[in-house]
This record gives sequence, C-alpha cells and structure tokens, in this order.
Amino acid sequence: MVPPEYYLLLSSGLFCIGLFGILTRRNALYFLMSVELMLNAANINLVAFSFYWGNLTGQTFALFAIALAAAEVAVGIGIILALYRNFGDVDVMQAATMRW
Amino acid sequence: MTDDEPGSSSRKPGLAAVALFGVLAAVVLGSASGFSDPAAGFPAGESIIHNIGYALFDIDLGGIPSEGFLAAFLIIAIALDVALDSAVYLAKQEDEGRIISALTDGGQDIVDGEVAGTTETDETDRGGDR
Amino acid sequence: MVTAFDYVPAIVLLPFVSFVVALFLGKNLPKKGAYGGIAATAGSLLLSIWVLFAVRGGGAHQETYWTWAEGVGSQPFTLEFGALIDPLSALMLVIVTLIATLVHVFSLGYMNDEGERDLPRYYAGLGLFTASMLGFVIADNLLMAFMFFELVGLCSFLLIGFHFREEGPPSAAKKAFLVTRFGDYFFLVGVVAVFATFGTAAFAGAESFPALAEGALAGNVDVWTPGGLDVMTWFTVVGLLVLGGVMGKSAQFPLHTWLPDAMEGPTPVSALIHAATMVAAGVYLVARMYGFYVLTPTTMGIIALVGGFTALFAATMGIVKEELKQVLAYSTISQYGYMMLALGSGGYVAAVFHLTTHAFFKALLFLGAGSVIIAMHHNENMWDMGGLKNKMPVTYWTFLAGSLALAGIFPFAGFWSKDEILYEALIHGLNEPLILVGYVFGLLAVPVTAFYTFRMVFLTFHGNARSETARNPEPVRWNVKGPLSVLGVLAAVTGVINMVPVQKVLGIEGIDYLHLWLNNHYGGIEGLSSHHYAEIGPYSSGTLFGGEVATVVAGAAVSLGLAVGGLLLAWKLYNVAEPVEHTDKLGGAKSLLYNNYYQDEFQVWLANRTRGVSGGADTFDQGVVDGVVNGVSSVSLVSGDRIKRIQTGVVGNYALLLTLSLTALLVVFALIGGWF
Repeated sequence: MVPPEYYLLLSSGLFCIGLFGILTRRNALYFLMSVELMLNAANINLVAFSFYWGNLTGQTFALFAIALAAAEVAVGIGIILALYRNFGDVDVMQAATMRW
Repeated sequence: MTDDEPGSSSRKPGLAAVALFGVLAAVVLGSASGFSDPAAGFPAGESIIHNIGYALFDIDLGGIPSEGFLAAFLIIAIALDVALDSAVYLAKQEDEGRIISALTDGGQDIVDGEVAGTTETDETDRGGDR
Repeated sequence: MVTAFDYVPAIVLLPFVSFVVALFLGKNLPKKGAYGGIAATAGSLLLSIWVLFAVRGGGAHQETYWTWAEGVGSQPFTLEFGALIDPLSALMLVIVTLIATLVHVFSLGYMNDEGERDLPRYYAGLGLFTASMLGFVIADNLLMAFMFFELVGLCSFLLIGFHFREEGPPSAAKKAFLVTRFGDYFFLVGVVAVFATFGTAAFAGAESFPALAEGALAGNVDVWTPGGLDVMTWFTVVGLLVLGGVMGKSAQFPLHTWLPDAMEGPTPVSALIHAATMVAAGVYLVARMYGFYVLTPTTMGIIALVGGFTALFAATMGIVKEELKQVLAYSTISQYGYMMLALGSGGYVAAVFHLTTHAFFKALLFLGAGSVIIAMHHNENMWDMGGLKNKMPVTYWTFLAGSLALAGIFPFAGFWSKDEILYEALIHGLNEPLILVGYVFGLLAVPVTAFYTFRMVFLTFHGNARSETARNPEPVRWNVKGPLSVLGVLAAVTGVINMVPVQKVLGIEGIDYLHLWLNNHYGGIEGLSSHHYAEIGPYSSGTLFGGEVATVVAGAAVSLGLAVGGLLLAWKLYNVAEPVEHTDKLGGAKSLLYNNYYQDEFQVWLANRTRGVSGGADTFDQGVVDGVVNGVSSVSLVSGDRIKRIQTGVVGNYALLLTLSLTALLVVFALIGGWF
C-alpha cells in the first residue's frame, strides 16, 4: 500500500509544474497544456482518496472533471483563435488591453 | 514562438511555483501522521468500471458504496454541448464580410456559405480543389 | 365604530396626494392638475367639517400615529407624529381647507385662463403647502409643529418664486425664506430647550409641557433649568425663543419686512399663504401653546406690545402705497399685529375670532385684488385704475364687503373681532400699563386702517378711469366670481359666531358661540380651554364708567367712531372724479413711509456690519467642513490612482500575484494552525 501522503506530494508536484508553465511561458497553447496538468493534479487527489475511503464517488467525480477539462479546452482553443485574430499572435503578454 | 527565443521569457516567476510546492510539501509531510489508518481500498472481486457505470446512472447494483450522479451526468452533457458550440462560435468570427472559420476547406475563404470567387471565375476554373 | 377622527390623517394626506399627482402627472392632466387639487382640498374640507361636527357633538381626539425616534437612558425622549383635535384645531382645519379650496378654484381663472406656464409646478406647490399647513394644524407636539412650520416656509419660498424667470420673484423668495428662517432659528433652539426642560413637547394632557410648566411654577414638579436659573426666568426665555419663529412667520416687527416683498408671488398664493393661512401659523402656534405663554407675564407683555406696535406701524406704511397688493400686505401685517395684541393681553378667544374673520376677509380682498389684476392686465398700480365699480360689479361689491370688514365697520365680521380684541386689551390694560400701551397702539391703528382701506377702494373702483385698460377691463369668469361671492358672504356675516357685545348689552345668553366653543362647552381636551387659560393667566379685568356694559359700549363706540372717521376722511379726499396724490402733502414723512421706515436699508446695513461673523463662518465652512470632505475624497483618488497600476492587464502578472498570495495565505494558516 502506498501511503496517501505520497499521492498528495505527487499531485502538488504536478500542480506546481503546471503553475510553473503558466508563470514562465508566453504562448497561449502552453497555457492550455499547463492548465491540463493542474486539473489532473486535482484528479489524482480525487482518485487517491476514493481508494483511501473505499468509496467510488471520488473516481466518478474525476470522470466529470475530465469531461469539464474537455469543455474548458474547447472554449480555450476558441479563445486562442480569437486572440490570434485580434493580435496576430498567441502571445498572452501582448493581450494587455483589458485594464484601466 | 516567442518562448523559444532566448531571453524573451523570464523563468524567474517560476520561482513562485517552486515556493508554493515547497510550502505544500511541507504541509503534506507535516500532517502525514494524520493518515495513520491504512487505506480502506475496494473489495476484491468487484469490478470498479461496472460500479462507476452504475453510479453514473443511479443504478443500485454495485457492491462499492457511491452516490448517484444521474443529474450531474445530464448537466455535464449539456455543458459539453454548450462548450462545443461556444468554441465554434468563438472560432468563427465574421471579419469584413469574410468568415474566417476553422472549417475552411482547402484554404479557400467562404463568403456567405459560398466559396469565394465562384461568381468571378470561369466555369473552367471550377473544380480542382472543390 | 368609525368616527370622523379616524379620517384625520386623510385630511392631511389628500392634498399631499394631489401634490404628488400634480408633480408627476400634471403635464398630462386637464387643467394641469387643478381639478385634482380642487378635489383633494374639497375632500379635506368635507372631512374637516365632519370633524368640526364631531367636536361639536362633544368629541375630542388625541392620537399618536408614529413614534419615529425613541430615546434610551433614564429620561428618554420620544419623538412622534400625532394628531390633536380640539375645538381650536378643528376650527382651524375648516378655515384652512375652505380657503385652500376657494383659492384652487380661483387659480383656474387666475393661472389657467391667463395661460401661465409651468402650471403643474404651481399646483404641486399649492398641494404641498395645503398638506403641510394641515399637518401643522393637527400637530400634537411642538417638534412636529416645527417640522411642518418649516415645510410651509419652504412652500412659501417655492410659490413666491414661481415666476423665477423674472428678476423680482426669486429675490423676494430668498428674502422671505431667509427672514423667516432667522426667526425659525430661535424657534428651533426653543424646541430643544422645551425638550431639555420638560422631556416632552406634547401640547395636551397631564404630561404635556404647558401642564408641567404650570406644575413647576406651583412647585409641584421639578424641571431642568440651565445653571439653576429661576424657573420663571427660564420659562420666559423659552417662550421668547419660540416667539422668534412666531414673529418671523406672522410677520411681526421687526421681522415683517419679507411679507410685502412676498407679493411678488401669484395673487392666489398671496391670498392663501401670505394672508389667510401660513402667516396665521405663528398666531396659531401661540394659541396652541397658550397654556405655556400665560404663565409668564413678561412674555405676554412683550407679545402684546409687539402686536400693538406692529398693528400701528404697518398701518401707517399702508397709507402711501400705490400698488393694490402692497396695501393689502401691510394691512395683513397690521391685522396679525392685532391678533398678537389680543393674545398678549389675554384675549385668547378674541385672537382666534379675529384669526377666523381675518382669514375670510383678507383672502377675499386678495382674491378681489387678483380679479382686478386680471382685468387690468397685471398692472397693479392703483393710480392707473379708477371707475371699475360699474364694469366689475361682483368684484366691487365683494371687495367692498371685505374692505368694510377690514376697516371694522358695523356689522361686518371685522368689526366684531377687532372690537373684542380692543375690549380685551382695554379691560386688562386698566390694571396693566403695558397692555394699555398696546391698546392705545391698536386704537390708533383703527382710523389709519379704515383710511388706507377706503383710499384703496376709492382709487380702484370709484372716480373716472385713469388708463386705457381701466376703461376696457378684461372680463373675469365664474371661477373668479364664485370664490369671491362665497368669501364676500362670509366676510359680511362671520361676526354672528361671536356676538359678545350684543350679549353683554342686551343680555341675550348663548350667542357667544365661539366663546362656548373654545371653552370646551361642546367638547374638548382638559387643560386646553379658554376658561383654564383665564384662570392661570396673569390678568385681572377692570371696567370703565362703573360697569361692564358701559365699558363695552364705550369701547365699541370709540373704535367704530375712529373707523368711520378714517373712512370719511378717505371719502373726502379720494372719492372724487379725479383724485390727486394727497400723500404728497406729507412731504418727508411720505418718503419715510414709502420706504418702509428704511427698514430694509437698516437690515442691509446690519448685514454689512456683521459680515465679519458670516465671513468667519464661510471660511470655517470652506476650510474645515469642505476641507475634510475634499481631503477624504482626494485620499481615495490618489490611492486609487496608485493602486490601479497593479492592474497591468498582463495575464502572467495576475497569475504570479495569485500564486504568491496563495503561498502567503498558506504560510499564514500553517503558522497559525501549526500544520508544519
């Protein structure tokens, strides 16, 4: 049996890798991939604790999270397209017009 | 893209993510003693995939405890549909009469559902990539 | 069982509804809200008459509708709105609603038919005024009275300045507002003093402030006084403070200067507000809290002296005025002086009597003047009139009735009430020199009043026409003649409600209805009767020529003789085909009178002398009060300008901030919760 704290370490590691990508990259597509990593970090926790408590709710919920990630990617890709059309690039640092 | 050019992107903000990992790891390891019980696990001989299927449709057949997810299942179905539609809508933006669409065929611009150029070009020019 | 008293709030609310309707829907209504105003005031009139009959049937009513502030502590004050219906307020309700209804009808002729603009604003103002005035009349405590007192002042301001596009009215409105507000300032201090002293401001009941004051003077009740001041002295001070508001509102010397200028307002407004009702608010207030005033002889003496002096002082200025409404304005000041004289000399009933008759005949005179002004195409100069008698018979005869009443000629209403005032002042003055001085002032004002009244009548209606418009006056319609006729009859016959001289001379009992009415003969509230006031009052009566009857006859004969003398002098000088300006013979005195004894100039001089004080107040306001407000807002402005830099719009920065904040939050929680 793997102790649960290792699952937590794994998931927080995965989450922080995703966050690292978001913080350092400028390409919107990398952003999307990083967000996928962060979402799946959450899924790891769901599945791990589903096993820990012997209850399937967590696993089922992870399925829903995956479905939502798919929806999010669909919208995200659309936004990236709009971004490209408006700024001629997918560099998220250039799209800085929504401020004061 | 710009990321690949040296110096165009700073790695420094990534330190924040590393710091966050440090804090999270410290918290997890500090509280690891809370998990003294061994994991309950799933009973042997039960098919987890089958049980997930039962849970999704609120069918009370499985041997693993779970909650019913029928309503959530239907809602997520609608949400996915909406997401798909909105993705298509976002991608298909009208620009000075031309629809720059993700669904272009062969690189040709589509004007009002018709292929651009059909009105000007000769009969002989048609075909090809159509 | 539903009684008339259940509908008392409706009396106030009906005109208020008409105000709201006229304000928001007036543009789309036929006659721009006039019908709504007429319906509302007529409804209030009917309800008021019902209330009057309920009081006649032995009823009286006091009810608290809403307690809007409750204090805490050992001696909590409660601030509330309530109604007090006793014979005095019931009578006043009928007077106010009757005049208001007639003025609304008259406005159809004066405003609508003359094609004035902004009529919804006009009718909204009238509605709000009527509602506020009625609220003032039914008020059952001093604070509520004060609030409605201010509201009627506001309405007066709004309506005087109705023609705000011209130069005069806005200036007159400001003057009226400021001068009355100067008096109200003292009134407000007085209200606070009453609360501080008695812990209540109720008018009626065993726990009311007049009752407590009576107990305090008898030594039965302990009240707070500042610095251990003698109770009598302190009550005198409080009474005089409240009197400040009264003198401003009822245009008593030296705060009378606003009323003649208020004539810049539309004539129906002058009739309703600046003659019959709002100006009466001051006198009504004194009558309302008369149980407090009679306790302090000094205050009573001051009231009597100020009243008598104002009566004579204003009358002399009325002699030389050339404009119709100016004469009436000064006569209004003068007549309210009489009422104050009556109140100050213990003639409570006489004052209310004169208030009633004056409301009728002065509203009549103003509406008559309005009719003349319509006919003369808004030329108010009497020297351009003349000979209107035959062209406007209804206006002439009703105006004549009002003038006879004003001059105090037997048997018109004004004779009875003025005679009773002078009689009360005389019998009480025989033992009290100060009151006797007031009586002499009042008596001297009688011939002056008769003279200027009939100078006005003769110049306007008699002789030959002195201008083209006077030869061909514009006709007036039913909506002008109707109210005039009603008031004309009332001005002639209202005297019968209180025929005290007849009762005393001929010995017919029971025809002094107003005395019985105000003495709670029919119904009323304990402690608010004229009998009670006379008991606790400071005066005793004296008689002349060895008997009451002789005193009555002598007093009436003297005042009537003086009035007729004034009338005959006016007749001789001005009832000729081509009158000349006899006032020119007065020389320097004329210009003194014409310029109102240079009162306005004196007040301007006074204002300039005190400019240092107001300049200091202005500096304080600009520097400290506004400075704090501006400082607070500039802090927000500057800090907002700095903090907005965080919002770069670059998504990476937001993500970094989120991450750092989350890390910091986690660290804080972990440290507090001991997670490590």
